[in-house]
Amino acid sequence: MSTKPELVKLIDTTLCTACRGCQVACKQWNEMPGLRTKQTGTYQNPPDLQWNTWTLIRFQEYLDENKKIHWLFRKDGCMHCTDAACVKVCPSGALHYTPLKTVGLDRNKCIGCKECVAACPFHIPRYNASTDKVYKCDLCYTRLTEGLPPACVKSCPTGALTIGEKNKMIKKAYARVKQLGGDANVYGDKFVDGTHVIYVLQYKPEVYDELPVKPSVPLSVVIWKDLLKPLSLLGAGGVVAGSFVHYMLHGPKAPPPEGTNEAGKTEGGE
Amino acid sequence: MRKGLVQVTDGKERLGHWVLAISCLCLCVTGLGMMFHSFNFLGTLVGGLANLKMIHNYVGLIFTISLLVMIRMWWREAGVFVFPEDMDWIKAAGGYLWHVDKVPETGKYNPGQKAFFLVVAIFGALMVVSGLIMWFPSVFPVGLVRWMYPLHALGFVVIFAFFFVHLYLGTIGNPGSVQAMTTGWMEKPVLKMLHPKWFKEMEEKGEFIEYGVEPKPKETGHH
Amino acid sequence: MQITRRGFLTMTGAVGGGVALSTLGINLNPVRAYAEELDKMQRVKIAKQTTTTCCYCSCGCGLICSVDKGTGKIINIEGDADHPINEGALCAKGSGFFQMTEANEHRLRKVLYRGPGGDKWEEKDWEWALPRMARLIKDTRDKNFIKHNAKGELVNRCEAIGHYGSSNVDNEECWLITTMARALGIVYMDHQARVCHSPSVGALAESFGRGSMTNHYIDMQNADVILIMGSNMAENHPMGFRWVTKAQERGAKVIHVDPRFTRTSARCDFHVPLRSGTDIAFLGGMISYIIENQKYFKEYVLNYTHASFIVDESFYFKDGLYSGYDAGKRKYNKDTWVYEYEANGIPRRDMTLAHPRCVFQLMRAHYSRYTLDKVSSITGVSKENLLKVYEIYSSTGVPGKAGTECYALGWTQHTVGVENIRAMTLVQMLLGNVGIAGGGINAMRGEPNVQGSTDHAILYHILPGYLKTPSASLDTLEKYLTKYTPVSHDPKSANYYSNYPKFMVSLLKSWFDAKATKENDFGYSWLPKMDDGKHYSTMHMFDKMYEGKIKGFFCIGADNAVSSPNTGKVRKGLEKLDWLIGENIFDNETYQFWQAPGVDTKNIKTEVFLLPASASMEKEGSISNSGRWVQWKQKACDGPDQCIPVGEIEIKIMQAVKDLYAREGGVQPEPILNLYWDYLDKDGHFSATKTAQRINGVFLEDTVIEDKTKGTQTLYKKGQLVPGFGNLQADGKTACGNWCYSGSYTADGINKMMSRGKEDPTGLGLFPNWAFAWPVGRRILYNRCSVDLNGKPYNPKRKLLEWKGDKWVGDVPDGPWPPQALEGGKYPFIMQRDGLGAFFGQGMADGPFPEHYEPLEGPLTRNPMSSQLINPAIEIFSSDRDKIERASEKFPYVITTYSCTEHWCSGALTRWQSWLLEAQPEQYIEIGDVLAKEKGIKNGARVKVSSVRGSVTAVAMVTQRLKPFIIEGKTVHQVGMPFNYGWLFPGDNKDDSTNFLTPTVGCANTFCPEYKAFMVNVEKA
Repeated sequence: MSTKPELVKLIDTTLCTACRGCQVACKQWNEMPGLRTKQTGTYQNPPDLQWNTWTLIRFQEYLDENKKIHWLFRKDGCMHCTDAACVKVCPSGALHYTPLKTVGLDRNKCIGCKECVAACPFHIPRYNASTDKVYKCDLCYTRLTEGLPPACVKSCPTGALTIGEKNKMIKKAYARVKQLGGDANVYGDKFVDGTHVIYVLQYKPEVYDELPVKPSVPLSVVIWKDLLKPLSLLGAGGVVAGSFVHYMLHGPKAPPPEGTNEAGKTEGGE
Repeated sequence: MRKGLVQVTDGKERLGHWVLAISCLCLCVTGLGMMFHSFNFLGTLVGGLANLKMIHNYVGLIFTISLLVMIRMWWREAGVFVFPEDMDWIKAAGGYLWHVDKVPETGKYNPGQKAFFLVVAIFGALMVVSGLIMWFPSVFPVGLVRWMYPLHALGFVVIFAFFFVHLYLGTIGNPGSVQAMTTGWMEKPVLKMLHPKWFKEMEEKGEFIEYGVEPKPKETGHH
Repeated sequence: MQITRRGFLTMTGAVGGGVALSTLGINLNPVRAYAEELDKMQRVKIAKQTTTTCCYCSCGCGLICSVDKGTGKIINIEGDADHPINEGALCAKGSGFFQMTEANEHRLRKVLYRGPGGDKWEEKDWEWALPRMARLIKDTRDKNFIKHNAKGELVNRCEAIGHYGSSNVDNEECWLITTMARALGIVYMDHQARVCHSPSVGALAESFGRGSMTNHYIDMQNADVILIMGSNMAENHPMGFRWVTKAQERGAKVIHVDPRFTRTSARCDFHVPLRSGTDIAFLGGMISYIIENQKYFKEYVLNYTHASFIVDESFYFKDGLYSGYDAGKRKYNKDTWVYEYEANGIPRRDMTLAHPRCVFQLMRAHYSRYTLDKVSSITGVSKENLLKVYEIYSSTGVPGKAGTECYALGWTQHTVGVENIRAMTLVQMLLGNVGIAGGGINAMRGEPNVQGSTDHAILYHILPGYLKTPSASLDTLEKYLTKYTPVSHDPKSANYYSNYPKFMVSLLKSWFDAKATKENDFGYSWLPKMDDGKHYSTMHMFDKMYEGKIKGFFCIGADNAVSSPNTGKVRKGLEKLDWLIGENIFDNETYQFWQAPGVDTKNIKTEVFLLPASASMEKEGSISNSGRWVQWKQKACDGPDQCIPVGEIEIKIMQAVKDLYAREGGVQPEPILNLYWDYLDKDGHFSATKTAQRINGVFLEDTVIEDKTKGTQTLYKKGQLVPGFGNLQADGKTACGNWCYSGSYTADGINKMMSRGKEDPTGLGLFPNWAFAWPVGRRILYNRCSVDLNGKPYNPKRKLLEWKGDKWVGDVPDGPWPPQALEGGKYPFIMQRDGLGAFFGQGMADGPFPEHYEPLEGPLTRNPMSSQLINPAIEIFSSDRDKIERASEKFPYVITTYSCTEHWCSGALTRWQSWLLEAQPEQYIEIGDVLAKEKGIKNGARVKVSSVRGSVTAVAMVTQRLKPFIIEGKTVHQVGMPFNYGWLFPGDNKDDSTNFLTPTVGCANTFCPEYKAFMVNVEKA
C-alpha cells in the first residue's frame, strides 16, 4: 500500500523579505510572461494576481497601536483548499483534486466559464480573454511528484516558504506562532476543511489586505451544488416519471367521438 | 391538409415558437453538458467542452431575441390571468388530474398554458440576465455574480419541469394539439375541447379560418 | 515521499567537471522528437544539467542550467540545491536568470556599428570590426602617447584612451583586460569597484592588512549580534540575509540603521533611522561608549592591536584637522603621523594603555567629543536609540560572543567612505570581533565578480594582487620595490608583504614572459606610470573626457551614462570621443549616448562599436564572491549568433593591435610586442583554463623549493603549476598573474575552483573543500585572533582554529606559525607591517582617525564637530558642470540613492527582462508622508526631482517609512530614489538616470562617488 502523503506549504510571513524570488521563480518554471506595468506608488507589482502572475507579494504599510511602522508582506496565491469551491463549480473537471490533495488545474480542459473566479473565497483564479482560460498556482504538481519542492519554495532565501507533511507543518506553524507571541496566528488550517497552504501571520487576519477573515465555500455555491443540483435531478426525474404515470393512469385528453359532447354524452341523441 | 381543419396559429407564431423551443432545448442540452461531469461527454460531440460553452452562449443570444419577440407577441393573451374563470379552472386542475364533468371554460389560453408562458417569460428572462452576468462576470461585483449560478440552475430546474409538462400535454397528453404548432391547423373537435370559449368566440364572430374557405376580412385579434 | 530541495537537479560530478546526470539511474536515451510535447518537468528531466554562478550581487549563489540536448539551448534555470550558500534558493534576479539567455529577444547577437553622425546601428561582423578597432586604437595611442612627463620622468602612458569595466566578467577575463590595458599604456582605467567598494579596500587594508570582506556570508549565522548599517541587505544581498535569518533562528539580535525603513528593517529586531552621511558620528559615539564603559575585550586589544603603540609627539588633532594639513593643496603631509620607536626599530608600546599618546588614549580623547547630545543632533537619532544600539552591540565585547557588521554602499558612497568603514573597524577591534566566527567586517560587495575584478586590478591605482601602480618618480624596479616592500624589525611580525618583490616580479614575468629579464628590470619601464600625487579614477576620467582630452573609450559590461555621477557631464563627455568600444549582452544608454534625448545626433562624430558578448552562463571561467570564494562556472551553451566571451574579444582586439605594431612599428611598441598573449585553445577560442593557470602561477624553469621548517626540498619542473604563493620567486623563475590566486590549482593541475566538497568539519559553515577561497583556501581572515596567545580558542563553542600540540586544526590558519606566545609565534595580522590591527591609520588621506565631516552638499552650514564643514582632503572638481549648492532653500531635502532587489545597478541588464521589469516598472522617489502633504504630492503622481546639476522625473511613492529628522534643531527631510532606470528601455516614459542629480565628488582616499548624500528639491511635475 502506498498512499501519497498530504503536503502543506507553510508561508511564514514573519520571515519574508519580499524579495520576489518566488514571484519570478513561479513565472520561470511555468513559462509565464512578464507584462508591462505602471508604478503607482507601491512596490507591489503587478497590482494583483493575473493570468500570468500566479503568486504575488502584497505590500502593506501598517501602524500598530503604538503608532510604530511595520511593513507587512504577504505572498498571495491559491490556498489549495480541502473543500475547494472552485473544484465544486468547475463544469469540466479542469479544476480537480490531485492525489496529493492539492487543487490542480488542467488547462486543456478549462472552458473559460469563469465560475471558479467567482466561487473562490480567496479570489484567486484569473482569466485570460485571449486564451479563454483560467490560471492559478497548482503547487507545482509535476515537481512534487518528482520529489522536488515547488519553484517558489525552493527559491525562498530566508525559508519563509517551506513544504512538508501536513501534520508536521501545522505543528511547525503553531510552534512558530507560540514563539512570536502577541497576535501571531496560524491561518488556513481551520476553514474550508483546512487549506494546503497555511500562513503564520504576525497580526490578526483582519489587518491584512485582501485576506478574508472567515473564508468559506460561498453559500451560493453550497446551495447550488449541494442543494439545487441534486434537487434538479429529482425534479427532472420526477417530472418525467410523473408524466409517464399520468399517461398510464389518467390517459390523454381525447376529444369526444363524433356526436358526443365532452362528458361522453351523445349530442343530439345516442 | 384537408377540409375541416381550422387555422389556429400563423406562420410568425409557429416560427417564433420553434426558434424559442429549439434554442431552449439546445441550451438545456449544452447546459446539461456543463452542469454534470457525467454529461461532459456531450462536449466531445462538438469538438470539446469549450465549444459546447460557446454554443450555449451564442444560442443563448438567439434565445434572448426570440424570447423578447414571443413575449411581445403573446403577453396579452397568455400572460394575463382573468378571474374568476381562470381560478375555477385551476380549482378543477383543468380536468387533467381527476375526472371533471365540465372543465371550466377559459379564454384562448388556459391558466396552465398561461402559467407556462409566465414561467418561460420570467425564468427565461432570469436565465438571460444571469447568463449574461455569468458570461461577463468581471464587470459585476463578485457577490452578485456568485448568486447568478444557483439562480441559473434554479431557472433550469423550473423551466425544465414546466417544459416537460408542456411537451407531454402538447403531444401525447392532448392528442391533436401538436398540430397547432406544426402545421398550424387543428381539428375542430379538438379545438373545441381544449379551447371551448375561444372556439365559441370565433364561431360567433365567424372568424374561423377554415381550410379551403376564403377568410372573412376581419381583425385577427393578435399582431 | 521526501520533499527536499535537492531531488534530481543536483550535480553528482566530482572535481574536474564532468557532470553526472539524474539520480534516477535511468538510462535516458533522449527521445528528442517528442521533447516539445513533454511538459516542463519531463523536458528538464531529460536535459543536460550544468552549474553556474549567479551574475548579480556577489553572494555567489549556485544555479543549474538545464540544456535541451537537441537544440543546445537552455530551457530552465533554477537554484543549485547542493550549493552551500544558497542551497537552491534564489532572489528575484537569480530566479529570472533564464531571461538573460538567448531566449530574451533583446540580447545583442550581432556586431553593431554606428558611424560618425549616424542615427542608427548597422550590423557588421567580427572580420570587419576587429581591424577597424585595432586601427583606431593604434592611431589614437601613437598620436597621444606620452613618453616623458613635464618633469622629464619616463612615464610611457597614453592618457587619451579611457577604459571602464567590468566587474561583470569572469576573473580570467578581468585579468586579460587589465593586462591588455597596461600593455597599451592606459592609466585612466577603472571599473565598477571604484563606485562601489573601493573604500572597503582602502579601509580594511589600512586596519587589517587586506582589503576584503573578512568573513563570509554563511558565517553570519554564527553571530550573536548583527549590525546592518550602510546596507539594505535583505534587498540587495538577499542570500546574505538568508544567513542573518539563520542567526536569528539561533537567537541573534539584528539591528538595522538606515535612513529608510526598508524590507531589511521589516525583518530586523528594530530599525533606527539616521540622516544619510552621518555614520561616523553614530559610530564615534559607539567607540566612546565602548571605551568609557569598558566594554572592550582588553586582552585582544592589548595583544592583537597596536593600541599600545605610542604616537610621535608632533602629531596632533585640532578643530577638525590633523597635523600636517596643506589647505591650498587640500592634502596632508603625513610625516607626523608616526610612532615613537625603540632603538631596535620596533614601535614603542605602553601595555598599560595609560600613556597619553598611546593610540588607545588618543582614540579615547578623539571620540570623547562624540557625546550623545552631539551625535543625536547630527544624526537625527534619538539618544534612546543610540544607547539601545550601543548597549546591544557592545555586549559582544566578551570572548563568548560574536558581533558582526554588514555594510555595503551605504557606507562606501560618501566623501568619507573609507572613514565610515574605518570607524567600524575600530569598533570591531575594540570588541575583539575580528578574526572570529560570526564576527568580522562583512563588506558585501556589489557585483558578481567585483571581488575578482578588484583582485585583478582593473583599477588605475593597483596592479593584480593589490600591488601598487608605479608612480613616475619610481623610475627603477628597485626604487619601486623599496618603497612598497614594508620593513619590520619585530620578529613577531610576519610582515608578509615583505614578499612583495616575489609577487611583483612574478607578475611582470606573467605579462612579458621571456622578454622580461633581470637586465631590463623585468619590463618594469614598459608599465605606464602615474604622475606622483595625481589620480586617474572614473570621475577624473570623465572630467578629462568632458574637457575633450580623451579620444577613445572602452566600456565593457557597464553603463556609465546611467551609473556614473553627474550624468549630464558624463554624457557630454562621451559626445567628444572619437571612438567608443562597447562589449555587453544588451544595448544601453552609454552605447547609444548619441541618441539620448536632447542630443544633436548628426554632429556627434564618435564611431561606436557595440560588440555582442556571451552571457555569464555561456562561458566557462571563475568568479569571486564577496567572501573570496572563487567558483568555477561551467559553460551551458554557446552564446547566440556572433556572441563570444569578453575574454575572447579582448584577446582578438589585442592580437589585431599587436599585428599592426608588428607590421608597421609605432610609438613605444615594446609593451605590446613583448606581451605574452597565448590564451586561445587549439580551436582558436578563449581558454579560461589557460588564463586561470597563468594567474595561478607557473614555474618557468625547473625550480627547487626549500621548506626550512619541514626540512624538505621539492623539485618543480618547468611548466608545472605553482601550488601556492609561498613558492613564488623574485628572480624570474616563476610567472604569476595574481599572487592572491596562487594555489587555485594544485601542482598536479587540479582546478580547486571546481571542487564541490560539502564537508564542514568545524560545523561553522566554512566548507573548506567547496571551490577555492583566497588566500590559500582560508575562509575567515585573521583567524589567529580567535585563539588566545597560547592557541586556545576564546570561544569553545565556535572553534574556528585551535593549536593542538604542534599544529593548527580548523580553518586554514592566517599564517602557519605557532601562536603568539610560543616560540616562533607571530602576530595575527600578517599583512600589516607591524603585524597588528591598526586603529591609527597612518596611510589615510583624510586622517588617522575617522572624523565626522558633512557631505559635500548637505543641509548644514556648520559642522557641529569642528570648523571643517566638509572632508578637508577631498578633491573638488571645477568644470562648469560641477556646481554645488548646500544648505539652500532651493534644494532643501537630503537624498540618498540606491538599488532594489528586482533591478541591478543601472538596470542595464534587468530592465530588459520582463519578469523583473514587471515587478519594478518605473523610476520612483520615496517621499515621507509628512513632506508629501506639505508639497501636495499624491502617491503615484509624477514629480520632478532636481539638484543644482540637473533634474529628472519619477513617480512619487508616498510612504510612512520615511520620517523627517531634527538636525541641529531644525527639521530636515530625507528622500530616496533608486538609480536603476534610463531613457533607452523600456522607453515609454521620460524618466532618465537619477545620476543627473549627483555631484562629481568622492571619497578622499578612493574617489568613490558620494551618491548617498546630497541635496534636491521635489515638486509636482
